[in-house]
Amino acid sequence: MHRLLDVLASGVHDTKNQLFYAESQIAEAEAKHGIDLSEARYAIETAAVRLTRTLTAYHLLRNDATLAVVPVVVADLCDEVVLDQRRHLAHAGITLTHTCSVQDEWPLDRDLITDVLNNAVQNAGRYARARVRLSAWNDDGGLHFRVEDDGPGYADPEGGRSTGLIVAERVASLHERQGRCGGMHLANGGELGGAVFELRLP
Amino acid sequence: MPIDYKNKRFLVVDDQPLARESLRAIAQTAGAFSVDFAPGYQDAIFKIRNNCPDVILCDYILGDGRSGQQLLEELRRFNMLPDETIFMMVTGEQSYEQVVAAVELVPDDYIIKPFSPDKLMLRLEKVAAKKEFFAGFYREKRKQEYEKALAILAAKKETEAGRAYRFETLRQEAEVHLAAGNAEQAEAAYRGILEKYEFPWARAGVAKSLHHQNRLTEARAEIEKVVSSAAQYFDAADIKANICMAQGEHEEAQKTLDAVAKKTPRNYLRKRLLAEAAELNGDTETARAAMADVVANDTMPGAVSTEDQLTLARTHVGAGDLIAAEKVLVLMRESEVMNLELAQQASFSALLAVASPDKGKKKFAGLRPALVASPLPTVSRVDVLRAALVVDDRELADGQARELMSGEDAKKVFGTVRKLYALQGRENDFREIQRQVAMQRIHHEEPPAGTA
Repeated sequence: MHRLLDVLASGVHDTKNQLFYAESQIAEAEAKHGIDLSEARYAIETAAVRLTRTLTAYHLLRNDATLAVVPVVVADLCDEVVLDQRRHLAHAGITLTHTCSVQDEWPLDRDLITDVLNNAVQNAGRYARARVRLSAWNDDGGLHFRVEDDGPGYADPEGGRSTGLIVAERVASLHERQGRCGGMHLANGGELGGAVFELRLP
Repeated sequence: MPIDYKNKRFLVVDDQPLARESLRAIAQTAGAFSVDFAPGYQDAIFKIRNNCPDVILCDYILGDGRSGQQLLEELRRFNMLPDETIFMMVTGEQSYEQVVAAVELVPDDYIIKPFSPDKLMLRLEKVAAKKEFFAGFYREKRKQEYEKALAILAAKKETEAGRAYRFETLRQEAEVHLAAGNAEQAEAAYRGILEKYEFPWARAGVAKSLHHQNRLTEARAEIEKVVSSAAQYFDAADIKANICMAQGEHEEAQKTLDAVAKKTPRNYLRKRLLAEAAELNGDTETARAAMADVVANDTMPGAVSTEDQLTLARTHVGAGDLIAAEKVLVLMRESEVMNLELAQQASFSALLAVASPDKGKKKFAGLRPALVASPLPTVSRVDVLRAALVVDDRELADGQARELMSGEDAKKVFGTVRKLYALQGRENDFREIQRQVAMQRIHHEEPPAGTA
């Protein structure tokens, strides 16, 4: 079983190197000719992220995923999600805003949480009319992230879930601290009136 | 805080041409002034030594059995990375994250391929801001002004900006305490981190702090927790091995290191430790092979020290190969030997006296007054003891044995000392020395009645 996984992981690794080469060439061409090919680069990065997410989902579903928890500056993490998504959403006429009131470092798996939030923002962008908002805050209950949009909302917040949401839920629950686990919550309404995705980490 | 990349020099370390080209393109698009390349480990060290770049982008996998992590550790070990230099690990896979989460020595940041020039800039700016925040602290720490360094940390911790670096501040505080020899404060600092989150490196820090306080059983229990939970954390194996050796459990120490050394065949610090454990464990062949590997292949200039040569000679002596031992010792330059500290001179002359009595006995006898009068580190004492037994200088030998058995490393070297006495058919004398030392302990260091 491990061998199979090694083969898959090494294939993903090689593919990502190729994708990185493609992205670097496009970035160079953009700079050289003063053109904007950010959508092409976005597609490349999304492809790479999907590959990684597939492997992650595989581990999560097999229950052999382990977190790599490091202290993370939450505001930096939010900045990065915004950098990853804002331009792409703008192409579709959607504005991404964000607020972060967390000043402390937080122990979490940076790569997985970034991916979960990117996925949530992407989902929101698919249904939003004009606005998506990412916010982060902390209280006695832990660290909270919320992604909301002004679209029609979830058809059934309690219903069946996409791979992305299954990954989000499992990643959240794997975060454990002093006996408390993280969680995910879906709702409709919120300040923008559409779907509300919430992630809570201990 | 935007960085002016117009003057920044980048070094890209990657063994794959395509990946190097990608990193160059991204760095230059991000505004890098110049981008240099190193296709491998040795070239990277050479370039960084000669002209340290501002930013190092290093792939995690370097080929030839080397990793970017190893390069980072080596650069830190030889103080070749100025605090101002940014070391960014580049990786195509998530698995490096597991390494970062566990180990003590981490790069300034790591970034997963593929990434845009914008993302690289964002990351570099965050790293630069952090370096700026700790700049004053780093300066004092490098000068080993630990009190001043701690004072800076304490003041910074309370500031608004300091909240974003809470864990890093605590971690630095713990490390400085440990470096300054305040093992109890280091332990408290690491436990403070653990109250907030169970980081493997913090738990390992507790174990190290306890080891420094000679609280070996507790130290061992703490490090076992880390070893069993963080498989990627190879340094934990080193810490465990050191604790095991102090406990006299040399077989477990060697077993632990053997397993990890196989996964990191080019980590020569670990090889040295393996040699030490194997020698204490009586596995002289493994000890010899490990030290021969170190001396032949640890290619960093100045990496192979006098101490290493002495260790190699010691392992030859242990294996009974006196000719090989003599060869190593005789090859050490005269000027080198003349300038050695007493501890090393003691080891050198003692080992030579055993390997080649003709050449060594006289020098060993000449050092005798100094050996009797001076405090010596454990390893030199064992060398002196061995030689004294061989030349049948009983007074010198028994004196060293008494010092060793009443010292902090008694458990560590007990088996070795007993064996050396046994080799001369003097087991009973050693038992008597042990008895005397034990009596002295009971009488609170007062000489027991009836003994000279």
